[in-house]
Amino acid sequence: MSEVILEARGLHKTYLSGDRRLEVLRDVSLAVGRGESVSIRGESGSGKSTLLHLLAGLDQPDSGDVRWGGTADTGTARRAKFLGMVFQSFYLIPELNALENVLMAMRMQGRIGADERARAQAMLARVGLAGRAHHLPSHLSGGERQRVAVARALINSPQLILADEPTGNLDEKTGEAVIGLLLDLCAETQTALVLVTHNVAHAARTARALFMHDGVLRTAPISSVSEPPPLP
Amino acid sequence: MPWYLYLALKQLFPTGKRFPFFTAISVLGVALGVALLVVSISVMGGFGREIRRMIVDTQGDVQIRAGGLINDPKALMRIVAKVPGVVGVTPFAEGVGMLEYDRKPVFPIIQGVDLTHVNDVIPLSRYIRVGSLDDLDDDTVILSSQLAYSIGAQIGGKVQISSPLLIEKLKSDEVFLPRELTVVGIFEIGHQQLDSNTVIVTLRRMQDLYGLGGAVHGLDVKITPGLDADEAARRINAVLPPAAGVEARSWIELNQQFLFVLQLEKNLIFILLIFIVVVAAFSVTSSLLISVVRKTREIGLLGALGGGSREVALCFCLQGLFIGVSGTLSGLALGFGFLACRNDVLRLFTWLTDSQEALERYYQFSRVPAYLAPGDLTMIIVCTIVISTLAGILPAWRAARLKPVEALRSE
Repeated sequence: MSEVILEARGLHKTYLSGDRRLEVLRDVSLAVGRGESVSIRGESGSGKSTLLHLLAGLDQPDSGDVRWGGTADTGTARRAKFLGMVFQSFYLIPELNALENVLMAMRMQGRIGADERARAQAMLARVGLAGRAHHLPSHLSGGERQRVAVARALINSPQLILADEPTGNLDEKTGEAVIGLLLDLCAETQTALVLVTHNVAHAARTARALFMHDGVLRTAPISSVSEPPPLP
Repeated sequence: MPWYLYLALKQLFPTGKRFPFFTAISVLGVALGVALLVVSISVMGGFGREIRRMIVDTQGDVQIRAGGLINDPKALMRIVAKVPGVVGVTPFAEGVGMLEYDRKPVFPIIQGVDLTHVNDVIPLSRYIRVGSLDDLDDDTVILSSQLAYSIGAQIGGKVQISSPLLIEKLKSDEVFLPRELTVVGIFEIGHQQLDSNTVIVTLRRMQDLYGLGGAVHGLDVKITPGLDADEAARRINAVLPPAAGVEARSWIELNQQFLFVLQLEKNLIFILLIFIVVVAAFSVTSSLLISVVRKTREIGLLGALGGGSREVALCFCLQGLFIGVSGTLSGLALGFGFLACRNDVLRLFTWLTDSQEALERYYQFSRVPAYLAPGDLTMIIVCTIVISTLAGILPAWRAARLKPVEALRSE
């Protein structure tokens, strides 16, 4: 594997639900190299989103550790530079137009100027929204909103993109286009991608397909992505 | 511009919206409170200033009185005139008398003024509306406007004036005839009490009416503008002969209780009206709290994009500050705009309610005075902005407490 961008070792996560302890992640380990795309499939409640949040540094594991580019620092300040995130519900800021939403990620880095504006415009053009830069999210279709979210995730040239079911709210054709765009852009910029998805076809387009069941992460060969691996 | 400042502004004034309803309502609430404060405190301040001006114009800056009479006022005047800061001294005698015109008796305060010196201390000429102070002599009188109106006296009319000396003389079987004086002027100071119940005669005539001889009741003193009246009184007291039994007191000291009541009233009005701003601030808090709940997932996103909880808190706190600043500026504009046309509004109101006469009679001023001291203005601005900013603290705290991962999961 090329240079390791993301490494998770022995992640355990448990939630308390009343008197019950729910073991959401069990000894999950994962390594993603530069420019590599990895998909994670699994049933609802299998722990995919929890894993993604741990990988993003938004939550802490009970045990195990996450490293970004070989460093254990997954704090807020580093997050903005190191990774970009794409969500199922887009999470665009409704008061800002498409361009301002993309620029927001740069503002949070403390960078804003003519160069940054030009870069954001170019990124919007790259995702096919050059003519929609000044439209509010409420005036964009679902696919267009997700493309804005993809542009926002990539604008700071992160080394890793974490995408949590980015096509979950899109129709099949639009979802296909968004996934294609995301994979192409990550490949162009040599950005690692971890894609959580229910869609077998989308998972098949990544370099490596993983399957999560009951908090355990397993490899799912591309040839058999439609069939979950048997439980141990 | 830091992102939290930018986002706070954008949430208040979203792109593409000409009329941000939430912001407008929040700003309007604060603005109404500020406008009411400005108008009320200005009018209170205006009345206070009018009253202070009137006190100084009718009493001088410092007044010297004895326990009884001052028998040698000229000697005392010479001493006082040499005190640094004193620009004028005039003796006076005053008391209640009976005035009769056309069989209509009234019981005004009679002010005896020394024509030689009175204009050095009291700007009487400024208040003469009809006639002239120059025509005042021992056989003439100047009436206050409402008193003249109430008895129907006009320039050239003859009035009979007598004093309590009439009764004293009767006790010893002497006859003291009322003095017949000609009306040569009508004055109006702008204070209902003085304008309805005062007559001015010469000091000699007052000494005659009260049987004072050469004595007076006191001296009014004018000081250099800008000099502290209390300081001037201290300087004068330092040179007054102890044997004379006289004491100088500033107009502030003489009217201490009255001025305290004025200040107390103004402070109470301020406290009561600032509650309007507090209520408006609660509505800002409520709106921002709803905004935090509505934007829970956006707050989670900000965390995912690298925003710290302190910055998220600042974003909401700044919205309170902006609403406070905008509300204050709008309120100042509203308040000063209203003050600019306050007399037109009053005229319209009294015309509609037919209450012009009652207003002058009971409220003592025919025009609404207004004066906002810089200190009061600063207090209004600072209190409003601080209260509005505090209104953003609870929503900011709620937003800062949200963990990004929980916020992103929220439905």
